[in-house]
Amino acid sequence: MSILSLQGISKRYGAIQALSGVSFDVPPGSVFGVLGPNGSGKTTLLGIVTDVLKADEGSFQLFGTAATAVQRRKIGTLLETPNFYHYLSAWKNLEISASIKQRGKEDIERVLKVCGLYDRRDNAFKTYSLGMKQRLAIASALLGDPDVLILDEPTNGLDPAGIAEVRALIHDMAKVGKTIILASHLLDEVEKVCTHVAILQKGKLLLSGSVNEVIQRTDFVELAAGNNEELVKLMLQYPGCTSAVINNDKVIASFATIPDPAAINGWCANHGVWLKHLQLRKKSLETAFLEITHTVAS
Amino acid sequence: MKQIILAEWLKLKYYRTFWVILILSVLLPIAGNYIVAEIISSKELKQAQLLLGGPFSFPDVWQTVACVSSFISGLYGILLIIIVTNEYTFRTNRQNIIDGWERKDFLVAKLYWVMKLAVLSLVIVALIGMFIGTIYGSKSFSIEGFRYVFYYFMQVMVQLMIALLIAVFVKRSGLSIVIYFAYVMMIEQMLVFLLKRYVGDIGGLLPLQAGDELLPFPGTKMASNIAGFGPAYDTYVYILAMIGYIALGIWLIFRKVTRTDL
Repeated sequence: MSILSLQGISKRYGAIQALSGVSFDVPPGSVFGVLGPNGSGKTTLLGIVTDVLKADEGSFQLFGTAATAVQRRKIGTLLETPNFYHYLSAWKNLEISASIKQRGKEDIERVLKVCGLYDRRDNAFKTYSLGMKQRLAIASALLGDPDVLILDEPTNGLDPAGIAEVRALIHDMAKVGKTIILASHLLDEVEKVCTHVAILQKGKLLLSGSVNEVIQRTDFVELAAGNNEELVKLMLQYPGCTSAVINNDKVIASFATIPDPAAINGWCANHGVWLKHLQLRKKSLETAFLEITHTVAS
Repeated sequence: MKQIILAEWLKLKYYRTFWVILILSVLLPIAGNYIVAEIISSKELKQAQLLLGGPFSFPDVWQTVACVSSFISGLYGILLIIIVTNEYTFRTNRQNIIDGWERKDFLVAKLYWVMKLAVLSLVIVALIGMFIGTIYGSKSFSIEGFRYVFYYFMQVMVQLMIALLIAVFVKRSGLSIVIYFAYVMMIEQMLVFLLKRYVGDIGGLLPLQAGDELLPFPGTKMASNIAGFGPAYDTYVYILAMIGYIALGIWLIFRKVTRTDL
């Protein structure tokens, strides 16, 4: 049974088609990244799933059944901005969240400690910095230790330490089998934690599935020699080399199959070119993502 | 339901603005009735009191306090507007749904405040009537004529529904308060005047006017009837009109809250 299953979700804001026919399934226990540039429809999609927005077309199920408040109470959600009563303290705000989620107050202390807000628990929300507000929103999502989390740009407004803490938190939650749906435009963030992805662009689903299946990230080799022009010519003759270009003071060589650095080194030496730099690199998710979005768009 | 009431209470328990406006809302009818009772009971106006037929004695006192209070109960509406528009300002209306309310729960939560404030106004005016009747009146306690307090309660309900409707559709507190005040103080009076002049008695059935028609100052009814300004329809017509407005308000808000994007 999928945790979330979407079938042909479409949503239009006036002239703008925010989502068109988006369908995918989120398997249990996955860390599911919803990727896309700003304005690609990520938040709209999650807004529909959490019933704050109404889809024009399509349907979705949570935990295999039509979504109602009962299903939403089982999900910890952080959507867009932290929304709390400005005049109330963190503790009192979480008391309201706990009451709506129909969970006891006993978990409030734990989540405030996890998110590093326990010492400021009695201060009014309006006195919090942007990062602290975001931490409180994460604390609210964690309230009651739900098995499913929906986190929309969870590291927004956080300092580097906060970003690392949230990543560690997501890792820990994933490790104990929780399902996490994570929307982000920060590909680096997704690369570090996600098992599955759905890539959106201008409201259209480009691809979805497990990270390794969806994003083919072929390895490439970074080389340098005394004469890089000569090195490029040589590498283009190397069996299986599909391209070789100079980028700054390095030569970037791509291959049809996984390249063997030792063989490349031997090949160059045999042809009288001595390498002063040789490194096997993996294409970054960012490059892969840009290639996917560019390929599909064109 | 219990959980909705608890959450609403947690939202406002520590909100100072809520308590300040609530206390003022309660004090205003008390002060207003006290001043009217003091002035009309003063030696200089003894003759006027005789003319009005002892408005502070039971049973007329119920009608008197209901009538006087109906002019000074606008603050309840402002309080309700602040309670509701705060949710839109803080976007907590979204968060409540995300956290596990049905959209209709949000409506129920706010209707609960309509009911609670209306019942509070009813209790306050009933107490004012009891005290004023006992202190300023010359007859023994009687609940005859208590129906006027009920008419007042109905009018407050209608007034609160108007406030809720404006808050849900306008969403911004300042603008909502201005529109609400403009309607309560001026727009409806103008419509009533124009309708009565150019169309007919139906002008008396506008939302707040329906209550006003049932709440003339004691002793002025006969004079009004003679002058042709008295109620044109039977009492039940006005009550049905008010119930109709409340039902219409709930329906419009339900549609808005359940169908649109938050």
